[in-house]
Amino acid sequence: MCEEYIIECENVKFSYPDSGVYAVNGVSLKLKRGEFLSVIGHNGSGKSTLARLLNGLLDADEGKITVLGMDIAEGKNAVEIRKHVGVVFQNPDNQMVASIVEDDVAFGPENIGVEREEIEGRIGWALKAVGMEEFRTSTPARLSGGQKQRIAVAGVLAIKPDVLILDESTAMLDPKGRREVIEVVKKLNKEEGMTIILITHFMEEALLADRTIVMNKGEIALEGTPEEIFTSGETLETFNLSLPRTSVISENLRKAGMQINNVLRPEELADEINKNFVSCGIYGGQSSICKEKPIESTHEWDIDVNDLTFTYSKKSPFATKALKGVNLHIDEGEFFGIIGHTGSGKSTLIQHLNALIKLPQAQKRYKKPKAKKGQPTPVISHISVGQFDLGSKKCDFKALRASVGMVFQYPEYQLFAESVFADVAFGLKNFKKGISKEEIEEAVKRSIEIVGLNYEEVKDKSPFDLSGGQKRRVAIAGVIVTKPQILILDEPAAGLDPKGKNEIMELLHKLHREWCKTVIIVSHDMDEVADNCTKACVISNGQVFACDAPHKIFKRADELKALGLDIPLTAKIAQGLAKNGIIIDSDCTVSDFSDKVIEVYNHGKAVDGGEADA
Amino acid sequence: MLNDVTFGQFYPTQSFIHRLDPRIKLLGLIAFIVLLFVANNFYSLLAVALIICIAIAAARVPFGRVLRSVKGILVILVFTAVLNLFFHGGETVYAEWWIIKITREGIIFTVFFILRLFFLVMASSVLTLTTTPVALTDGIESLLKPLKYIKFPVHELALIMSIALRFIPTLIDETNRIISAQKARGADFESGNIFKRIKAIVPILIPLLISAFRRADELGDAMDARCYSSSKNRTKYKKLKLGWRDLVAFLTIGALIAGVVLFNIYCADILPQFYEYIKLS
Repeated sequence: MCEEYIIECENVKFSYPDSGVYAVNGVSLKLKRGEFLSVIGHNGSGKSTLARLLNGLLDADEGKITVLGMDIAEGKNAVEIRKHVGVVFQNPDNQMVASIVEDDVAFGPENIGVEREEIEGRIGWALKAVGMEEFRTSTPARLSGGQKQRIAVAGVLAIKPDVLILDESTAMLDPKGRREVIEVVKKLNKEEGMTIILITHFMEEALLADRTIVMNKGEIALEGTPEEIFTSGETLETFNLSLPRTSVISENLRKAGMQINNVLRPEELADEINKNFVSCGIYGGQSSICKEKPIESTHEWDIDVNDLTFTYSKKSPFATKALKGVNLHIDEGEFFGIIGHTGSGKSTLIQHLNALIKLPQAQKRYKKPKAKKGQPTPVISHISVGQFDLGSKKCDFKALRASVGMVFQYPEYQLFAESVFADVAFGLKNFKKGISKEEIEEAVKRSIEIVGLNYEEVKDKSPFDLSGGQKRRVAIAGVIVTKPQILILDEPAAGLDPKGKNEIMELLHKLHREWCKTVIIVSHDMDEVADNCTKACVISNGQVFACDAPHKIFKRADELKALGLDIPLTAKIAQGLAKNGIIIDSDCTVSDFSDKVIEVYNHGKAVDGGEADA
Repeated sequence: MLNDVTFGQFYPTQSFIHRLDPRIKLLGLIAFIVLLFVANNFYSLLAVALIICIAIAAARVPFGRVLRSVKGILVILVFTAVLNLFFHGGETVYAEWWIIKITREGIIFTVFFILRLFFLVMASSVLTLTTTPVALTDGIESLLKPLKYIKFPVHELALIMSIALRFIPTLIDETNRIISAQKARGADFESGNIFKRIKAIVPILIPLLISAFRRADELGDAMDARCYSSSKNRTKYKKLKLGWRDLVAFLTIGALIAGVVLFNIYCADILPQFYEYIKLS
């Protein structure tokens, strides 16, 4: 036995009962104490199964796993090993047992029989390590996603494990929450010398590790430093992973004759590009201003929101103002992005658009508020969608909802029917009473086909037998089946791996072209908005901070950062280039950005060359 | 729609009763219930009513909040009261019609019945208004501890209660989300007859159940990963401690029990000519 390695796996195989294929197929892995390993791979590649094998939640069919010299398969070692290998899972809500933070953190130490006084100390230590001391007596229900996940980390830390496994623990968090958790993990690795296994879809996170492995079909497909892995180019695509955006840009620039080394961070890439410019004697330069493509539309289905305010739990001690006077206009035909943190009010806003939350004056018991003396008359919120006046009691809300389709977050969790056909037809039958069987069949068929599924193959299947990605497509089909004019989606790509995200976005563009006039997505992924949206608005603290074309919004990088929001990668590189006096005015997509850089480069070279000749 | 952010009825103030140990409050409630049934005449019942008024005053919760809790059982109360009044039977008959007989004993019994139930609900709502659900679970677990010796799974029961409490807000959120999503697909939960409405619940119930099972699965894994096993070596971080308030409360409860019992025995002599109209036969 060699103490050098804290975890050793030898040719480990595991298959789930009734599946017939190995979810983990011959994995050999050695992990040193204090090492930081990141694991990437598409959904279903066996990453999570590996995590469960390493701490004894699952038993390997074949092979040997040794943790701290203990064979996991022997006797009661599996239970003992859990004290040394802690796991934090994906959904923070499903990991907590108690309604008070300190009771929850105490759960682990209680289980292994730690004395009371010692538990007290451990709670303090663990909460300090995740920066949540002040929430010791709070209730998790009132915390943000990032805070909850940090409590989950503290709950594992309190057992004092040697190894911490994070099984996609950041997948359900918004960028701010993700940063919070990752900061904690970094600190634990550096300061406490904790061994970390980080399973993730996000390249920025995987880059923090000392070593990265790529899983594919239950096997370790690639292994190396994160830099080696992510610059390995097209091989990544063969393992169903997407290329990092920096690699795509680098490749484009290289094709144009620039000397670009493989780097992964935007600042480094900016340096690489600057080097090229400097070596050609180019200082300063500007790309042509990005032209906005006008949206052709008849403006029949414009959305107009005026002075929208909304307060949750009015007249109770828990009253919270979610919206504080939102003014917004969305033209028909846009692919519109709504950007904002969890809790910024964006979900409340979109629920107003199809009257899931009705304006007060449209409710049955509404009485006009009397203006009090000495106070300004209260502002009345107003919304109109196309022909519909949402402030009117006479508004046909059913017809409105048929015209404004709404896909909620994780829509696959709302499937319920016994067959895909019945689930998709549900909305249609609700909206169009007395519709004929043939018409239903026709509409269902068309919507299942447009979301990219085979109608004959899936129509009689139970929606619960489909894969995650397919379920989401069925759920989307169930909304678009009424052929809405406007389609609103709340975080349509949440929880998917990078490839799945791209596929969903492609689907939305297809729907935008062929099916619905306007598509509105809520997102906190800036690259996603930059790549896809024609226009976007930033909601912060219940108000519209900005509403413009994405590339114009992303020019206000400092203000966005102050709001705790990020900017797209291309905008970050552009910032780095601006230091050299080079202004790139792209629409923030990877291809346009590359083109503009090349344009400046070629133009600069030509001018420079001309000067040299003269 | 379920839009209550809080659940339970906890009324957040700092009062003598709020700060009592939950075990004392639970024992107090049990003692009070026993008293309610020990009291066999209106003098004793008056004493019991006085106790509850003092308790409400000491808890500094609005009287209206306590009364509101009775609303929930009003229908049952009226229904059983009417049955009792008509069918209790007895010797001194005031009115008779078909099988219905209104007697003095019946009237006394019905009034007793109503008051007892009334006070019972009021007393339990004083408990829930002044104690958080978490403290209540801790108290119940601690009180049930002796049952461990007859192999009753006290800790497991407490854990189940704790997890249930923890997931109520989560599941309410989830339910609201599913309701909204199905409404967006044109589901209608507000109109139609009872059968239609029951049918309309299916698209909410099934996703909710599936999600609950999924959560249970993940929670099980997370608990396993945090070394949960039903071993005996488990320790307990939180220990309830008794303070001077609890001693005061304990003595008060003792005194009250004694008082009511004495009332029961000796009040027949106070105004003997009325006694037969106010005692339960």
